[in-house]
Amino acid sequence: MLQTSPTETALVEAPPKPILQLVGVRKTFGGFTAVEGIDLDVRAGEFLTIVGPSGSGKTTLLRMLAGMDTPSEGNITLHGELINDVPPNRRPTCLVFQSLALFPHKSVGENIAFPLKVKGVDAAARKARALELMRVVRLPESYFDKNVMKCSGGERQRVALARAFAYDPEVLFFDEPLSALDYKLKKALEKELKDLHRETGKTFIYITHSLEEAMVMSDRIGVMRAGRLVQVGTPEEIYGAPVDRFVCEFVGEVNTIKVGRGTDGVWSGRDVPGTFQVAPPRNGVATDEAFIVVRPEFMRFLGPGDTADNRLEGTVYNEYSLGSRIQYQVRVDAKDGEKVMLVELSRARALPPSADSQVTLGWDAADAFTLEG
Amino acid sequence: MAITHKRRDAAIWGWTLFVLVVIYLPIACGALASFNKSRYFGFPVKQYSTDWWSKTVDSIEIGMIVKTSILVALLVTVVSVVIATFGALAFARYDWKGRRLYQKLILLPIFFPQPVLGLAMLLGFNAVGIQTSWATAVFAHTVWIVPVVTLVIAIQVYGFDPSLEEAAFDLGCSRLQVLREVTLPLLWPGIWSGMLFAFLLSWSNFPLSLYTTGADSTIPEWLYAKMVAGYTPMVPALGTMATLGAAALLLAGGLIGLLVRRRAAA
Repeated sequence: MLQTSPTETALVEAPPKPILQLVGVRKTFGGFTAVEGIDLDVRAGEFLTIVGPSGSGKTTLLRMLAGMDTPSEGNITLHGELINDVPPNRRPTCLVFQSLALFPHKSVGENIAFPLKVKGVDAAARKARALELMRVVRLPESYFDKNVMKCSGGERQRVALARAFAYDPEVLFFDEPLSALDYKLKKALEKELKDLHRETGKTFIYITHSLEEAMVMSDRIGVMRAGRLVQVGTPEEIYGAPVDRFVCEFVGEVNTIKVGRGTDGVWSGRDVPGTFQVAPPRNGVATDEAFIVVRPEFMRFLGPGDTADNRLEGTVYNEYSLGSRIQYQVRVDAKDGEKVMLVELSRARALPPSADSQVTLGWDAADAFTLEG
Repeated sequence: MAITHKRRDAAIWGWTLFVLVVIYLPIACGALASFNKSRYFGFPVKQYSTDWWSKTVDSIEIGMIVKTSILVALLVTVVSVVIATFGALAFARYDWKGRRLYQKLILLPIFFPQPVLGLAMLLGFNAVGIQTSWATAVFAHTVWIVPVVTLVIAIQVYGFDPSLEEAAFDLGCSRLQVLREVTLPLLWPGIWSGMLFAFLLSWSNFPLSLYTTGADSTIPEWLYAKMVAGYTPMVPALGTMATLGAAALLLAGGLIGLLVRRRAAA
């Protein structure tokens, strides 16, 4: 959206306050702990994405927030009021299911107007509001009487979204609703969802296993692993300053080099030969054993005369096209055989095809980060 | 290739025809027998007439029997569909302790020989001092028909996405609204077939009725009694009418189901 609405500016300037608060929320099923001690403040109006591999407990967490499961321990509060045991039909929240859960026996219009019918709104007002919402989610008016099962995947997403908006919830939950769509449609809908979030000013909590999805849409991302929230932060923080190797590897491909600090304060490679300049660990932990982590896009090939804080000699043995970027796999000598490093360059800066496969890799200490070893 | 295809098609058609003839020949024979002018059962039919059909239609006794059969079948339909709908939800949908046992127990009456079941119920009614009549027959039919209808509706429940109910609940519905707006409309095709099954199984039931109707009589009972003693071509005439009635009901039921689906798909 190009135009900026007044509410939008207000949202950006106002200090964010928590709308939903989770304190020590746990959920166990029999002997199995699905969610383990989650503390989280959700700010009013933010787009928060919970991301994690399957089985990390994110769906269980969402079901507790929506009221379909009750926490075994801990408190969930909405506007400061405890809602642990409030059933979903009495919460001002709405969940968009992974399956979308559109009612197959109702038309597009009836699906969207459903929450209004339940509330007892009269038919004419229901229709007017449904048509209004169809405009918001960019569905043509002629779809009002269309059988919802005859809609395409993308259209069904819009119907589900419009139905959720018709309930007028304060918080919307999304359980990977885009996971079944093809790549291009998914990309388009991600951006539309982000726009709708901005236009409506509602709080969105979205779960997905796809970090790419999370990066595009979210104000903040929470990374879950084995029932715990490992890190919560802006996409930049998650990408640029992951708290541990799990987060940093989940967030994208990385090169890691194991290093140790000698008594002279110099860091030398444990798995590759040489000494390295190392940025201080961002979490401030003093350590003598560490991993240097360099994202492939911060690696570059050094020509004669080029300088970099750190360098490694290697041989290019594979390259992959990633569309606008090219990824190179480079073998470097390691203490126990070989190690593969990844380098990503934009297509414009690609190595000439005739280039020697012997290369020098370089990166600056400031572009890498250090994790405890 | 073409030859083997032709052969295969011929085999399929031949077999289908054979099965149809085997199934429908006895019914056709019954219908033919009802058009026999003579009082006695005999083939070939020497002279055709519709006298016995008109006598059957005019008979006051048969009128009462048909009314009893319809009444019993209607009541059995209503009662067993209500029980079976909730039973099917318990059977196929909700996970609870004892569900597996319930799934087996509910099916058992189907495999129990009906004459024994009927006799057992007659003894039971006598023991507690209930006079048997068409009302006790409704009870007896229901015991045997509920399991069948439960199975028929359970098939529909298995194909039902539980998140639809959760979504309705999440969008503000009370439990009752969920049932009315989502569960029942979606189970409707299964409930509809369950109703047809219940009616037709009660309509044609003989062994349970024999023991439990007391002084009242249903169509199959009357047919049996007249075959044992006092045969007239009214027996095949009524039998043919009952069959045609059931077929008409089935056809109407199918058509209504089709119309409803057409309207929903529009």
